Amino acid sequence: MARRVQIPTNNSALIAMIADEDTITGFLLAGVGNVDIRRKTNYLIVDNKTTVKQIEDAFKEFTTRDDIGIVLISQFVANMIRFLVDSYNSPVPAILEIPSKDHPYDPANDSVLSRVRYLFNTESVAGDRR
Amino acid sequence: MEEIESDQLQSASHEEAKFKKEDEEGEDECTLQFLDSLDAYLTLVDSLSSSLRQGWFDLASARQSMGHTRISSKLFDHKAHSASTTVKVTELHIDNLSDGEKSIATEVEAQASTAISSDIQKERSKSSTLFGAMVSPKLRTAQVSFETALDKIVEMANARSSILTSFSQLELKKKSPS
Repeated sequence: MARRVQIPTNNSALIAMIADEDTITGFLLAGVGNVDIRRKTNYLIVDNKTTVKQIEDAFKEFTTRDDIGIVLISQFVANMIRFLVDSYNSPVPAILEIPSKDHPYDPANDSVLSRVRYLFNTESVAGDRR
Repeated sequence: MEEIESDQLQSASHEEAKFKKEDEEGEDECTLQFLDSLDAYLTLVDSLSSSLRQGWFDLASARQSMGHTRISSKLFDHKAHSASTTVKVTELHIDNLSDGEKSIATEVEAQASTAISSDIQKERSKSSTLFGAMVSPKLRTAQVSFETALDKIVEMANARSSILTSFSQLELKKKSPS
């Protein structure tokens, strides 16, 4: 069965960020920040006052915009909206979970790795070989 | 007559064995590609963590020398401006023929692009002037660390794409009848 996903080529796609202040400051220094004419930014700073709803709304907005190629999200923030992140299936924008200062990267929580983890389950390998 | 039937049966079983071997070799190739992409992704995550740690450290040093109020999110530019660092997204098609079925997987390739090299210094100083005309050298080294982190991030995006593509190819091969 042929199945084709159309992905428009984009020569200047943005990198969106949902992370803590220091991470966003650093990436803004690297020139990633974008503010459109409606004053909408391509980043959300997450602090102790940010609600889960705000994070969810930002994630949904960034993953539906067609001018964004990559969404960076701190892993501790991704854990707050884990269901939403794990159910995301499109190739573009790519969702990448990154470490933060206070929360090192944990491969067990990464959505890409958890999706492919079952391949390493010995029972499923033994079952296929019989 | 019986000999002809037996010959036909033998050649059919040889053909079947040949297809089975080609199928297994294809699956082995997919598995290798999958494992290579996974290894690359994990290595890149480790490298990214290292660049980010350096960046955070330099940012903290800059904050200490310049003062907390001079490096703050309150100083971010909220006027309309476009990003000087963007990503180029292209679609690669990979065709797989498997038992007469055709599957098309798409792999997304990302490449970071900044302004042309002669303008890079100009863009760098433009970004750092967010925090004032005279900034700590530590802020500039933090900027370089985060730029390095960006390169790693783009490679990670490509590795992620490769993992998901080879994973879906492997799943297809497992599901197709042998």
